[in-house]
Amino acid sequence: MVAFRSTDTSGRTTGLLLRCVLYCLLALGLIIVDKRYDHLGRIRRLLSVVAYPVQIAVASPFEGWDWFKDSVTTRDALRADKTKLEAELRLAQFRLQRYEALEAESQRLRALRDSTAGVTDRFVIGDVMDVDLDAFRERVLVNKGAGDGVFVGQAVLDAGGVFGQVARVGQLTSEVILVSDAAHAIPVQINRNGLRTIAVGTGDMHILKLPYLPTSADIVAGDLLVTSGLGGGFPAGYPVGTVAEVKRDPAQSLADIDVKPAAALDRSRELLFVWLKPHDAEPPAQSDKPAQSDKPGPAAKPAPKPSAIKPTTTAAAAP
Amino acid sequence: MMRETRIRRLPMALSALVALALAILPLPTVLESFRPDFLVLVVFYWCIESPRAGGLGLAFASGLALDVIQGVVLGQHALALTLMGAWATHLRLRIRVFSVLSQCLTIFALLAGYQFVLFWVDGATGNPVTNFSRWLAPVIGALLWPALVSTLSRVHER
Repeated sequence: MVAFRSTDTSGRTTGLLLRCVLYCLLALGLIIVDKRYDHLGRIRRLLSVVAYPVQIAVASPFEGWDWFKDSVTTRDALRADKTKLEAELRLAQFRLQRYEALEAESQRLRALRDSTAGVTDRFVIGDVMDVDLDAFRERVLVNKGAGDGVFVGQAVLDAGGVFGQVARVGQLTSEVILVSDAAHAIPVQINRNGLRTIAVGTGDMHILKLPYLPTSADIVAGDLLVTSGLGGGFPAGYPVGTVAEVKRDPAQSLADIDVKPAAALDRSRELLFVWLKPHDAEPPAQSDKPAQSDKPGPAAKPAPKPSAIKPTTTAAAAP
Repeated sequence: MMRETRIRRLPMALSALVALALAILPLPTVLESFRPDFLVLVVFYWCIESPRAGGLGLAFASGLALDVIQGVVLGQHALALTLMGAWATHLRLRIRVFSVLSQCLTIFALLAGYQFVLFWVDGATGNPVTNFSRWLAPVIGALLWPALVSTLSRVHER
């Protein structure tokens, strides 16, 4: 049953050892150069373009099936969907009513405090491609790449909260590392009392951990964690997760805290790539600070019209 | 001889491409860690079947493709596949006359070696995966070996 066909059994394969050693040296060289230096970025970007057709070929049947399912939905289902979405939109608009005013106020207060926490500037939406990467790392492939201005370290959000950050960029695609990856950590803050710490991934999509809080820390199940904006990678104030369980062992100095991620890490199909506003947009406000802090500063510019697609951040509270 | 070699390259490249697609085919999360290394098995097959058609080159190229597609350190899979491909080529005359069981055991050893090199490079480059389930893939790959050989040799015959 298990038979090989060819008759190419005679003779030696000439120079097997030599070729093996050459290839291995080449591979080792690649590993070292890729790890130590940054020269291979362009080569990798080109190679990722070559890999793109394979990825497309694998992903397209699933996308086709999704498209087919979409196109045979009944009218009733569509109508039910529409009603539901309208209700959701109404609720969201209701919540947004005070957003512009609050945002302006927060900007003004931040400027007073010389805070440089990142502020979101613009968004681009990318679709998750139906392709499995490494089974042991929590990563997804997204169909936006260097051509769209995506860069390594960029913050990625979904509708629920922080999803992850860009780990690698190809010309047409990019790899996003999820907040739940075992190699990922994100600076967070408890929304209730401002306590800052770091949330690290576990390799399990449903659990993050807060390993650096003492048992005496003021944290209870149900607390909302938001990004603190420290480190500059992520914009401040986006939900990361809610505390699921706090285990305090008196014998240990650190508490064992489980967090449930806010983003739908295993279900989201559309992701938002975020650009932060560069800090040098703010200096005027900062340099005027002494003069501004003792008298009530001039009111911030009236907020621009609310835009449906791009949550505009109002200009920094410049006089 | 030259002509024979040239004819063999097409099924080789095609089977490698199919295996590459299988390697990134989306699976349910539960099954993901059970996915055998299809591409590695295919490379072993060609290393044993026709070493002169460039099995080692195929091993290196496939490894590089896996590196790019999985987004790990460039050269990791290439190194592991080249080493184990060379070993398979070295053992090929023996593997041909082995019984099915011995073949599976040999392939298991090769796959485990492959995983070990990956594991080692992971650790050396600073992102170790200490997940025990990565050692499942060699077992499943070895069990799949007879089926893969009969399929590929049937394709090859045509």
